[in-house]
Amino acid sequence: MQEPSYVLEISHLNKCFGTHEVLTDISFTVQTGDVTCIIGASGSGKSTLLRCINFLEDPTAGQILFHGRDAETQWKRAEYHAKVGMVFQSFNLFNNMTVLDNCVAGQVKVLGRDRKTAVQKSVQYLDKVGMAPYQNARPAQLSGGQKQRVAIARALAMDPEVLLFDEPTSALDPEMVGEVLAVMRDLAQGGLTMLIVTHEMSFARDVANRVIFMDQGLIAEDGAPSEIFTQPKQARTREFLSRVLNR
Amino acid sequence: MQLPSSFFGWVGFLLEKYGNLFLLGTGMTLLISLTGTVIGFVIGLIVATLRTIPVNRRTPGTVRALKALLNVLLNLYIEVFRGTPMIVQAMVIYYGAMQAGLIARGTPIPVVAIFIVSINTGAYMAEIIRGGIISVDKGQKEAAQAIGMTHWQSMVSVVLPQAVRNIMPSIGNEFVVNIKDSSVLNVIAVSELFFMSKSAAGAYLRYFEVFAITAVIYLILTFTVTRILRLIERKMDGSATYTILGSQTFSQSAITIREEKKEG
Ligand SMILES: Nc1ncnc2c1ncn2[C@@H]1O[C@H](COP(=O)(O)OP(=O)(O)O)[C@@H](O)[C@H]1O
Ligand SMILES: [Mg+2]
Repeated sequence: MQEPSYVLEISHLNKCFGTHEVLTDISFTVQTGDVTCIIGASGSGKSTLLRCINFLEDPTAGQILFHGRDAETQWKRAEYHAKVGMVFQSFNLFNNMTVLDNCVAGQVKVLGRDRKTAVQKSVQYLDKVGMAPYQNARPAQLSGGQKQRVAIARALAMDPEVLLFDEPTSALDPEMVGEVLAVMRDLAQGGLTMLIVTHEMSFARDVANRVIFMDQGLIAEDGAPSEIFTQPKQARTREFLSRVLNR
Repeated sequence: MQLPSSFFGWVGFLLEKYGNLFLLGTGMTLLISLTGTVIGFVIGLIVATLRTIPVNRRTPGTVRALKALLNVLLNLYIEVFRGTPMIVQAMVIYYGAMQAGLIARGTPIPVVAIFIVSINTGAYMAEIIRGGIISVDKGQKEAAQAIGMTHWQSMVSVVLPQAVRNIMPSIGNEFVVNIKDSSVLNVIAVSELFFMSKSAAGAYLRYFEVFAITAVIYLILTFTVTRILRLIERKMDGSATYTILGSQTFSQSAITIREEKKEG
């Protein structure tokens, strides 16, 4: 093959809620191992973009290709979801299950793994995020940072190729942000393809190999962190960065 | 034979003479209300799950149309069975089915009774469960979807267990209502507690004493059921404690964490 093989290709994505156009003609590509951070002001459409990529929202127009095949029509939905995982701002751990079962459920129901293998795999990933000792706890008994680390383990247990993160640390108390970012940094070093919406600018600068700045539903600027953070081309990028960096 | 002259004398006399009747009636009432509540609950779960089937832009027009039709039918079912008294439903279903030849004369009447209570309860349960589903955070369904679960899988393993936990008090209430309201089935000669009491009262014309006994039996039933359901609720909440599995260094002393339990 000559052309670069993209994991994800988003092309001309559009999303309207009624008459309100939230995403306008979004196109970008993701290669294996890319760590892409999406930054931008609140309300600029970052969450909606991730939710469209994962079909939690129905795109109004446009196409999402996963390994060159249309994610909507040429992939089985369950298979696509297993390969493209998501970590939410509000964790969304299954409240009716223990930590362990949170990680086991998807493997058994969706991937058809037997319970024993699923448990092994779950413990392995819970260990990776430092939550193995808590496998019998229920979500309500954990702190925010612990919940988010379990949510990451739950997503990893599905053996995803891409993980989408929607502001994974925004709902955390400041002292817990570090533990979650450390896990994510680890994953990035391990070569996992990640698409991360975040307000953690230092994380974006240090860990991402690419930063997308969104403004009012558009990709306003897109480039390496060194470019975006040191010499942004657009005035609105400069303005946004000076606002968030000088807090 | 010497007939009793006091209230308690009569109560003792009637219990001795008609104890069996009371027992059979109680058994039948329990059977009908328990089975009816359980089947009604299952109907409610199915209806609620059907009503929440999602559609998206790729859903074919025919599927959309079918789903719209299904919704109309389910709403009709709920409106009709919530909007008419069960005593009337019993008459219409029993005599209607008989006239249509759907039930032969020999069909055991308890089966008909359970059918009526189930379908009536199902209509209420569908709405109660809908409320329960709304009470579960939207993120739960989304997280299930995001790891690839289908609508049915996410409903069965994530949403409904939480919805059901939230509505346990209402489900218990339905059971209690069924214990009491199955008494209306005496109009189609179901041998439940009220029907049996009527027979017992008729012989000596002691309506007050017999129905005092009947009232106490109903009260015992409903009280017991309420207590049992409380216990089940407790059980569903799971253990309030969990054990931090010992790592190498802590293996001697697995630590048990106790959660502060709010009394609801
Ligand atoms: N379900 C929805 N219905 C209507 N409008 C929505 C919905 N979700 C998001 N929006 C709107 O879309 C815009 C972008 O929202 P969002 O993607 O959450 O932004 P961000 O994540 O960048 O803060 C906002 O104006 C928001 O009000
Ligand atoms: Mg957002």
